[in-house]
Amino acid sequence: MSADHARDPCPIVILNDFGGAFAMGVIGGCVWHGIKGFRNSPYGERRYGAISAIKARAPVLGGNFGVWGGLFSTFDCSVKAVRKREDAWNAVIAGFFTGGALAIRGGWRHTRNSAITCACLLGVFEGVGMMFLRAFAQPPVQPIYAEEGAQLAA
Amino acid sequence: MSWLFGGNKQTTKEEDLKQTLGFDPAQVSDVSSIINSPGVFDASRLHPLAGLDKGVEYLDLKDEQLNDIEGSKGLIPSRSWTDDLCYGTGAVYLLGLGLGGAYGFQEGVKNLPKNAPPRLQLNTILNHMTKRGPFLGNSAGVLALTYNMIDSSLDYFRGVHDDFNSLGAGAIAGALFRSSAGLRPMAYSTALMTGAAGAWCGVKHLLK
Repeated sequence: MSADHARDPCPIVILNDFGGAFAMGVIGGCVWHGIKGFRNSPYGERRYGAISAIKARAPVLGGNFGVWGGLFSTFDCSVKAVRKREDAWNAVIAGFFTGGALAIRGGWRHTRNSAITCACLLGVFEGVGMMFLRAFAQPPVQPIYAEEGAQLAA
Repeated sequence: MSWLFGGNKQTTKEEDLKQTLGFDPAQVSDVSSIINSPGVFDASRLHPLAGLDKGVEYLDLKDEQLNDIEGSKGLIPSRSWTDDLCYGTGAVYLLGLGLGGAYGFQEGVKNLPKNAPPRLQLNTILNHMTKRGPFLGNSAGVLALTYNMIDSSLDYFRGVHDDFNSLGAGAIAGALFRSSAGLRPMAYSTALMTGAAGAWCGVKHLLK
């Protein structure tokens, strides 16, 4: 598998991933908590409920997303630097470390379970991505020759 | 039978070759002599058009599709507004997280329980850090996100990327951030964010 040239090179892409994941979390959190706050408020206070839910929860969701994405990117870059190759295992290993690092305050069992869960999740993502890549890959186009070839062969 | 007893015939062959070619082919370079000669791997002695003396260009982006709005050549080459958004938000978020974490750290050190086991002390410090760090980081990140989105929109509408956009975006972002807290906090945060945007513009001019 070749290197991904659509993304920036390694140490600096961590910032990009932090920001991207944070933005994704905040914008998604605005939609999600906006709807949730709207539906869970009494009539007459629905707009206020939506806005206060967004204000209270969307940044937190963004922060969680951002920390996850940034940690994952950091570990991904570290694993790339150590293994000196780019394949699907990088993501799985990075996911293992990310899950472990985020759960490290919950004790040894929690850390282990969370790391394994995260690695499995990333493995599934990578597998699905590869399947899509293979399913939508362009088949190699056969060159069209002029018709003289047929006459020569016959 | 030359394939079996070719030994003495080879010398005559080589001499023949030497005579016909005018030089000894055994003395001419093979691969190892090329590799071992000094200075072959010197990039400056390779073909000049290979451009190897410039080093590896880490920030060459794919197809060089850089942002073509006037004045948008910033500190980091950026392809589009999403790059600005991600880098700006990520940097400010990390900065806020780090600053808040440091503040929480010193707060935790100050509030350490007396005669507590080290595990409890560590927990106190971590609790203070995780209380302060994410809060400051999230607020700063949301501010930066709003700022960058408004800034890119202003770039798009005006067609120029300059300091006025930045100041305006800072003012709007600051006003939006505290818009539900009343007029006075809104004015404060507007002024603060405008000042921060101005400071960022100054830093950009210094670094460029």
